[in-house]
Amino acid sequence: MRVVLPLLLLVSAVGHAAPTESVRFSAIEVYLTTEQPVSAWQFELTEANALMQVVGVENGESPAFADAPYYDRAAVENGLADRITIADFSLADEKRLPVGKTRIATVHLLTRGDREPQLETVLVVATGYNGQAIDASISLSKSTE
Amino acid sequence: MKKSDLLKMWMRAACFAFVAVLVSSCANDGVDSAPPQQPGESGESGAIEEIIVTGAKVGGREQSRRAWRKKPAVVERDMSVVAAVAPRFHRNETLSLSSVAPGEELWIIARVSLEAQGTNARTDDSPGSGAMVARPYEPGHEPTDRAGLVPLPLKHTAVDASISGYISTVNVRQQFQNPFDEKIEAVYMFPLPEKAAVSEFLMIIGERRIRGILREKEEAKAIYEEARRQGYQASLLVQRRPNIFEQKVANIEPGKGIDVDIKYFHTLAYQDGWYSFVFPTVVGPRYNPPHSKDPIHAVANGERTQPGGGTAARYLRPAERSAHDISINVDINAGVTIEDVRSSHRISTSHHGAETTRVQLANHTTIPNRDFVLEFQVAGERMKSKLLTHVDPGSGQGYFTLMMYPPADFERIGRQPMEMVFVLDCSGSMRGRPLTQAKNAVRAALDHLQPEDTFQIIRFSDNASQFGRTPVAATRQNIADARGYLKLLRGTGGTHVLQGVRTALDFPHDPKRLRFVTFMTDGYIGNEAEIIEAVHSGIGDSRIFSFGVGSSVNRYLMERMAKEGRGAVAYLSPSDSARKIMASFFERISHPALTDIQIDWGGMNVADVYPARTPDVFVGRPVVITGKYLGAPDDVIVRGLRDSEQHSFRIAAGRVGQNASISKVWARLKIADLGDRQAWESDPYDELASEIRNTALEHQLMSAYTSFVAVDASRRTEGRRGTTVHQGVPVPHGVRYDTTVGKN
Repeated sequence: MRVVLPLLLLVSAVGHAAPTESVRFSAIEVYLTTEQPVSAWQFELTEANALMQVVGVENGESPAFADAPYYDRAAVENGLADRITIADFSLADEKRLPVGKTRIATVHLLTRGDREPQLETVLVVATGYNGQAIDASISLSKSTE
Repeated sequence: MKKSDLLKMWMRAACFAFVAVLVSSCANDGVDSAPPQQPGESGESGAIEEIIVTGAKVGGREQSRRAWRKKPAVVERDMSVVAAVAPRFHRNETLSLSSVAPGEELWIIARVSLEAQGTNARTDDSPGSGAMVARPYEPGHEPTDRAGLVPLPLKHTAVDASISGYISTVNVRQQFQNPFDEKIEAVYMFPLPEKAAVSEFLMIIGERRIRGILREKEEAKAIYEEARRQGYQASLLVQRRPNIFEQKVANIEPGKGIDVDIKYFHTLAYQDGWYSFVFPTVVGPRYNPPHSKDPIHAVANGERTQPGGGTAARYLRPAERSAHDISINVDINAGVTIEDVRSSHRISTSHHGAETTRVQLANHTTIPNRDFVLEFQVAGERMKSKLLTHVDPGSGQGYFTLMMYPPADFERIGRQPMEMVFVLDCSGSMRGRPLTQAKNAVRAALDHLQPEDTFQIIRFSDNASQFGRTPVAATRQNIADARGYLKLLRGTGGTHVLQGVRTALDFPHDPKRLRFVTFMTDGYIGNEAEIIEAVHSGIGDSRIFSFGVGSSVNRYLMERMAKEGRGAVAYLSPSDSARKIMASFFERISHPALTDIQIDWGGMNVADVYPARTPDVFVGRPVVITGKYLGAPDDVIVRGLRDSEQHSFRIAAGRVGQNASISKVWARLKIADLGDRQAWESDPYDELASEIRNTALEHQLMSAYTSFVAVDASRRTEGRRGTTVHQGVPVPHGVRYDTTVGKN
């Protein structure tokens, strides 16, 4: 599944007047929607105009995924990165695994320039308790205070 | 009272109060001319650079009085407060928190930036806001003993280590809290083991855990500074030395906290059946010889960074202390029966089967001012040599670790005549117990010399001198004279290790004897690279055995000197028996099992092997070599000299295992080796630096060229950048403040 989110509200979402800086910070919440408990997931986040730098990857809302997710090293190569892969897994009991729409991560970003970044995310895989791939959809939302 | 005053104050403590004394080496001329500032915004003006927080006797009476006299304008700012405090200065009384009466006020005074004073001599690039006020303790949480307590941001360090076999994985949580009424940036310089491979970094705000990103150092710093400037909470971890790191946490709001998790792993040292786990807790005060590159200054808490660049570690004065304490838990899964556990500190142990043990630091030994050393003895008469391998599933690249232990029959070899060179650090930091211990160690070693041996004693501090013009025979008379010479040695002056190294290595080698140079020092210097270069270029046929003396030794320097000197390292803490440790050490170095080692790797195509120069194998102490390979694991043949004759032994290859940590151990070794080579190799195109950076990024490790940064971009704090507060730390246990930090 592929989701596109224009970052039009990078600053207004945090309740401050828009800064004049060409360097801006924003947080993007990533949601996974499944009908079965999910034990592992992986997604890619890309930005078409190479304006994005990832500056932090935060855990989601499920206690079964209490630690921060992991990212691959593509985020740090060649200065500005336009693609990052983020993944996590849980060894929790099935009853503790999230189901339905769950915030699985918050990605903290730095963007440069006046152009609006175009974020795109692709769910690579989501697996259930037994390790089999399950149907799932992914979506993005701006983080608000 | 106007907030625009540089001197802004105070808290009316409910039942007690502190006195904070302005201590500043800056002139106060700029105080009155500083522009008005609003809380939380004043950092933008750049008028106030940092806050000096101190609540106890500051640098002795004379300094306090002098500081006071230098601030007449400040004194006049608020006479209601001054009236309560000033008389004590004039009566030459010692100020301490315990001496402050209830109802008095804490005041903390801002330092004027040098920019505001019209100078460009700033060494800190982080201007802060105006003066701050410390908050009272929560009811029911007041410390029982407030004497000398200085409000500082680092509350607690929690160390949780897990040992599996010979690799330790350690999570260090640093808990920062803002005790002031304005937001702050906390800065803390701290040590980690010299072999630590830092691979993970998290910033924790409540239940939220934000994983930091490893980036090139300058890029990470720019991101952090921008986040800080815009009011976002952020943290930055920078490596200053392979064993010294600097943590910055920006925009900690008043009364709130931010935790930082640092995860690293490292291999454990092994000797005579004992594994050793070390967690250092404090950076020793460094001496920087003139013209040192990238010095680390030792600066009193609240004092300004010294000119000349570099960084600074801040030290509490003798009458000061912070509330920072430490907890340490270590889970040991040895894989074989654990026979015994011992530690430098009081510990409690709980056994969970024969092979696993949990060790906890006892509550009353939680002051972080000396290395925590934990040793555990494993069962089995002797270790066996082995070859561990791992193939990266992604790249197909193979990695190996070869552990060489001499076979049993190698232990029955004759002793060769020796030329022993003892090099003693007699600088100010060694004064007292450390130098006494070093002398005791040399005396013990003299007792082990035999008539066919020769010896020399070299002392160094600001300069170097020696016992004899040339090494002398180990006769009874010469040994007695040497004892007299030792008696006269005193600890004073700077730590010019370079003088000691050159004096020890720059005289002709007696080919009939094995030359061993033993350095006895705490290693508190800031020019490690120069020392390593001098050892590398001057080592010749000598072997260096570095002997770390003290409670918080610069283990990085000790290990690197021994590595370049193809020798080994040992440590002597203030409470150790110098005689016992020297006896063991001497026994070992006088019986090398195999020297001048060559390795036949068989069918393995081996590359990038570390250490590049294979050290001698000594009885009871393994040599560990790590590298990359292609092809299938094969038997390895180790050849070398024993009693001047060629000998060899074979190490059988096992199957390729799942030892994923080997690749990171290899990467950490490679980074260390490249860093060492920077000391002596010409690198006009920064190729070594580039290789370090690429290796670190590929294997996701900290290095001198990569840093971790984490930003919470979901919320911007009120105001802009906070005031910088440096975390002061105690000088190491057994080290005198007056001969180290107080000398600067």
